[in-house]
Amino acid sequence: MKSEDSALIAELKDDNQRDLAFHKLVKKYQERLYWHIRKMVLNHDDTDDILQNTFIKVWKSIENFREESSLFTWLYRIATNETITFINSKKRRTMLPLNDATDYLRDNLISDPYFEGDKIQMKLQEAILLLPDKQRLVFNMKYFDEIKYEEMSQILDTSVGALKASYHHAAKKIEEYLRNTD
Amino acid sequence: MSELKNDAPKLSEIKKEHPFRVPDNYFEDFSSRLHTRLETEKQALPNPKSRIIRLLKPAIGLAASFILVFLLVFWPLKSFLPSYMAKNNSAIETTTTEEDTYLSILEKIDENSFFALLSESSDEEINDFNDEELMSYVSSNFSEYEIYLETANE
Repeated sequence: MKSEDSALIAELKDDNQRDLAFHKLVKKYQERLYWHIRKMVLNHDDTDDILQNTFIKVWKSIENFREESSLFTWLYRIATNETITFINSKKRRTMLPLNDATDYLRDNLISDPYFEGDKIQMKLQEAILLLPDKQRLVFNMKYFDEIKYEEMSQILDTSVGALKASYHHAAKKIEEYLRNTD
Repeated sequence: MSELKNDAPKLSEIKKEHPFRVPDNYFEDFSSRLHTRLETEKQALPNPKSRIIRLLKPAIGLAASFILVFLLVFWPLKSFLPSYMAKNNSAIETTTTEEDTYLSILEKIDENSFFALLSESSDEEINDFNDEELMSYVSSNFSEYEIYLETANE
């Protein structure tokens, strides 16, 4: 996996092979990045915009990628930053307090024609929505994507201890919400 | 996982699956849609040549405006007031030629002849006075009493 990515990075940095290598990179990572973004913004159209922005950014900055982290970590970090930037811009546009985009995201969830979960899954999504952005991110990455804390630590630039605590608090809050709305 | 069962039993009961789906063929088409957008982005990027021009634009603009002001002020003056300009130019030229002549004369004279010329001119000035003229000057400008006081002091 790592050597495969190293070869891909080398091809991406080579002007003659860049286009083809980029196509390979997109094919390889598009789904994982899509779901990572989708779980944060919920709506498909927003996710599509952010995913495109993520890959455009990757294209523009591949020359500066110093391979200090794995390609996967670097892509996740760009996607996460793009997602957070998008959510913050929505908050600013709708004059919401910086920690409250819940209403906008809940509307996104309800109006999304591509949501096909049952009642309990809708309830879980609503509970996740109530979490602060960072906790939501950590919860989604751990609970759904099962990313290791060490890797998450590199992506989010946060200590493993802080991530574990964040996940624990998030799980407790969600459990409480599910119990109260039963 | 067992930790989650203890801490959040309700949560652990929910199936871990995505409740979302994507439009048909979304992932198959994504790459080509991204490619189209990338091409647009590439075209929007300025090439290095035009970047240099863009950097130099303010300086070029400033120089051009100076040239324009010069042309708007100097050229009409020169074409519509030719006599005025000619007069001014000839006055400048005259002053310059007179100065040049003096300088060339001074350069030719050595130090001794210069001082000799100076003393000669002062002697001439003194010799210009004769006794009669002096007497008339004194009598017209001084009273008898003043002349008496002056001669008494000697």
